[in-house]
Amino acid sequence: MDSIARRPAAGLFALPLIAALSAAPAAAADEAAARALARQSNCFKCHSIDKKKDGPAWKEVAQKYSGKPDAEAKLIYHITSGKKAKFPDGHEEDHVIVSSKDQGEVRNLVDWILGLK
Amino acid sequence: MNDAPNPMSGPAAPGAGGDPDGHRPAAGKTSAWGRLRQVLLRPSARYSLLGLLTVGFFAGIIFWGGFNTGMEATNTLEFCTACHEMRDNVYQEYKQTVHYSNRTGVRAICSDCHVPRDWVHKLVRKSRASLELWGKLTGSIDTREKFEARRMALATNEWARMKASGSRECRNCHSFDAMNPEVQKQTPYKKHMHGKADGMTCIDCHKGIAHHLPKEYRDPDED
Repeated sequence: MDSIARRPAAGLFALPLIAALSAAPAAAADEAAARALARQSNCFKCHSIDKKKDGPAWKEVAQKYSGKPDAEAKLIYHITSGKKAKFPDGHEEDHVIVSSKDQGEVRNLVDWILGLK
Repeated sequence: MNDAPNPMSGPAAPGAGGDPDGHRPAAGKTSAWGRLRQVLLRPSARYSLLGLLTVGFFAGIIFWGGFNTGMEATNTLEFCTACHEMRDNVYQEYKQTVHYSNRTGVRAICSDCHVPRDWVHKLVRKSRASLELWGKLTGSIDTREKFEARRMALATNEWARMKASGSRECRNCHSFDAMNPEVQKQTPYKKHMHGKADGMTCIDCHKGIAHHLPKEYRDPDED
């Protein structure tokens, strides 16, 4: 009983820290909107959040780009330019272009992916 | 029996009594319908059978052409988008997609995907479209909010129709066998060939190709 009475203070301290650590660079990404754009662009045909399919798992992508300052810009370019992507078997082919021209929506999707650690 | 009324025996003599069935008119009284029947059922006294058949044949062609022209008019983009429910919602979404505008200028309009090309299936679809007229009259999706509320139900109906027909309308233009691995990207080509081997058709994977996916929709590959 004693320890519970002491916990609220520790919890109040931890909460903002956890929020700061798990938040995306700007505001937290809108997951529903990100998933909606991913569905519309058929991303899930080749990508999964935690399993490797034709493309890398998004958790793996988030870990690979973790802490890098240009991560967001690089990924936005990756999914909007049609640049070549390298596949496990060594061949390269043009990456599918995301089906929205709205920069805000694209950035939100990238931010959500980068937050999937 | 000999005295049973025979509707095919020709016009009744004037002054003859009428029978209860109305096969012969009462004395002095011939209804307009009765007269019409008499004229239509009477053998031609003036024209030959060949003449009648020839005129009928060409009249049939003109009627058939007119009927089809009228029906095809309901397949045009202009007809479909005459309703604001379509024009303000799904038409605007479709205009952002590759089926509207692309490198080669090949455009698929509403009827290319939503109306079968062959006669029997087309007629069935057009008959069902009377329900859409009812929906228009009752305003079932006449506001943006009502449309969004019903989007999942409408999309699901259409996906089910396409699935049941084996994506027949897609296959009017697209064919697994016509896919060239030298120009189609390796990853989608592999998926297409696996899909073909598994008996899948276009709509199994390609939902949301011309209109926005409903917000309730979940990709089966999504985790």
